[in-house]
Amino acid sequence: MMRNPATLFGAGPFGRRLSRPGAGRIPVTVVTGFLGSGKTTLVRAALAHPGAARTAVIVNEFGEAGIDDVLLRTSTEQVALIGNGCICCAAKNDLHRALRNLAAERETGAVPPFERVLVETSGVSEPGQILQSFANDRTVSSHYALEGLVTVVDAALAAQTQDTAETWTEQVVLADRLVLSKTDMVSPEIASEVTARLAALNPEAPLAHAAEVRRDPAFLFGGATRERSAFLCAPRPAGASAGYETFTLTFDAPFDWPVFSRVMDALTMLRGDDLLRVKGFVNVTGCAGPVVVHYVQHLAAQPEELTLWPTEDRRTRLVFITRGLGRDVVEALFSAFLGLVGAAPHPSRTAGERDVG
Amino acid sequence: MLETKDRADEQGTIRNFKLITQHDMGGFGGMGEGMSIQIAKDGRRILWLAHESAPKNFTGLDVTDPKNPKMVVQTDLPQPHMRSNSLEVTGDIMAVAYQTQKAGQQPAGLELFDISVPENPRSISFLDCSGPTSRGVHQLWFCDGEYVHMAAGAPDFAARNPKDDQFYRIIDVKNPSKPTEVGRWWLPGTREGDTDAPPVRHEAGKDYGFRAHNTNVYPQRPDRCYLGYLDAGMIIMDISDKSRPKPVSRWDNSPPYWGFTHTILPLFNRELYVVTDESVIDGGEDWPKLIWILDGRDEKNPVPIATCPPLQRDVYAGRGGRVGAHNLHENVPLPTSWYSEEVIIGTFFNGGLRAYDISNPYQPVEIGHFVPPAPKLSPVGAVQINDVFVDERGIVYTVDRHTGGLYILEMDF
Repeated sequence: MMRNPATLFGAGPFGRRLSRPGAGRIPVTVVTGFLGSGKTTLVRAALAHPGAARTAVIVNEFGEAGIDDVLLRTSTEQVALIGNGCICCAAKNDLHRALRNLAAERETGAVPPFERVLVETSGVSEPGQILQSFANDRTVSSHYALEGLVTVVDAALAAQTQDTAETWTEQVVLADRLVLSKTDMVSPEIASEVTARLAALNPEAPLAHAAEVRRDPAFLFGGATRERSAFLCAPRPAGASAGYETFTLTFDAPFDWPVFSRVMDALTMLRGDDLLRVKGFVNVTGCAGPVVVHYVQHLAAQPEELTLWPTEDRRTRLVFITRGLGRDVVEALFSAFLGLVGAAPHPSRTAGERDVG
Repeated sequence: MLETKDRADEQGTIRNFKLITQHDMGGFGGMGEGMSIQIAKDGRRILWLAHESAPKNFTGLDVTDPKNPKMVVQTDLPQPHMRSNSLEVTGDIMAVAYQTQKAGQQPAGLELFDISVPENPRSISFLDCSGPTSRGVHQLWFCDGEYVHMAAGAPDFAARNPKDDQFYRIIDVKNPSKPTEVGRWWLPGTREGDTDAPPVRHEAGKDYGFRAHNTNVYPQRPDRCYLGYLDAGMIIMDISDKSRPKPVSRWDNSPPYWGFTHTILPLFNRELYVVTDESVIDGGEDWPKLIWILDGRDEKNPVPIATCPPLQRDVYAGRGGRVGAHNLHENVPLPTSWYSEEVIIGTFFNGGLRAYDISNPYQPVEIGHFVPPAPKLSPVGAVQINDVFVDERGIVYTVDRHTGGLYILEMDF
């Protein structure tokens, strides 16, 4: 009997199974941080390091990049070579367009074949919008994978900026990794106070000092993430969370994908604005490896199935970064859905007992 | 735009592969399209490689540690007019194909070796395939320990056109000291004395011959041979009776394309065929030589539904040598072979090695490539990546046709 054309697409519901999240696409690291936090210094130092060869850095304007003196030559209107096999691209407020153009020019050989992209955001940009680029633009998401959001925090000004600018807090809570700069300009007491403040806002993100990252940029590119467990014990400063809450949910039993996606649909539909970021591994019935999910507010990136679990732990792990939406509420929603599914009578009747109508 | 010189400097590009090491094969780095892995009795992993042309016959490399391949043995051909383009290993038996430059030359045929001691391959037998119109054996398939399927001439086969000398032959090697033909098939009209009319030849300059190339047979369908027949396209053969192979269907894309259909890789779980046409002219003259994806739900009527994205002609055509498709990793049905129905890995001469995600068969996407810089002493000024094999560990072996030898890679996708 002729099989349905769906068989041509293979067995995996999530497309090709990947060796790691984002495999096959160009990794993009987004560096954010408030005005004057030291992003540019960090990026400049990184680009000069051999470990960062063949990086395409995207800035908003060449002038802002502070790299005018190292620009070797302009190849196209908006792309310049900067040595070390790296290139610099001016996004001019349109990151989508810059990423699309770079991918096209890379294919045609008009720019050197860069291996990663580093986006240096302007100080006041809201990182949520940038993260959404990887979910809402098909061309961008087919060529690029978000590797991580790195937020640079000025140790000297952290307390003061947090009190006055919500963007600062958002940059910190959304970060995958944190870099603390200017620690040499503050007392050890203030440095540890800032560290505790960051740990309270974003307990998941590993933290490094800018001086270390300037010496070796691997942390910037996700090559050497380190646990920060020592800081997790730090006392939580009062009011540090400012309505933001980061928490992890784990589930022992595998999810049926339709159930999981409906819980997330309900969450994003009703509270998308407050669901700043959700990322994690889902154990899906019938899949050999974990399914990697990533939500940014209302948008979901294409889920990816990995070939293997990275460790023995096969539980579903989801990190929620929320605003005004606590762990209890989200947990209750999952429980309600799972309860409904679990309570439903199983179709246990045999074929012979089936109603014929 | 950058200047052309910058592009030449950038000939070496790599994406989502990692180069582990390169081996120059002792200065004889012109490699053919035979790559097969033996797990020796002492546990060593030996990669056997066919050379593209004389003076070398084959080389055995210990690739147990892929970072540190060690040459175990390298043999010479008895005659400079010979080439041993193809080989395959099953257990401790290796089958090697011998082709000659001109029809009628000798020796031309199939040789079986006992490689139980990899340092000392011992000839077991030789099947003569020479003949007045024969150039011997170009390619062979040997995966079940029982039969060699090959593209070969024969002493008793007179080709009407000298380009049509190699056809499909099935050789029983259950007794390896006495290989015996059990069946053969040729495109009707190509043999002197056929009652069928000769095939309509491709126009001058595009007429490469109606002869067999790859002869793939898989345990999922032991009654089928997936036969590339150059200018006749792809032919699915019913070999349920090996003494009387008969065609099930034929798909021919040329003209308007350039023929030279080379490999048919069936993906049984997905009912797809992946088909390559080999580039055979330098400078992009026969561009685009493609990897085709065919809907194989009805084997009697294979339907092309997509191609892998073609190489950029303006980037590669001027680099030197050939540009375009050639060999694939063929999911060889041996325990030492990697298996994927989602990722296709193919060789493209100066376009290097390329990997495609075909999970959506209507829209293959390139997910990685490896284009090394021109190897030292390259006669064409660019790499000519010729063949690829991926072992069950996911280690990728790929070879240059002229001087570059072997490149060992890891996949990162």
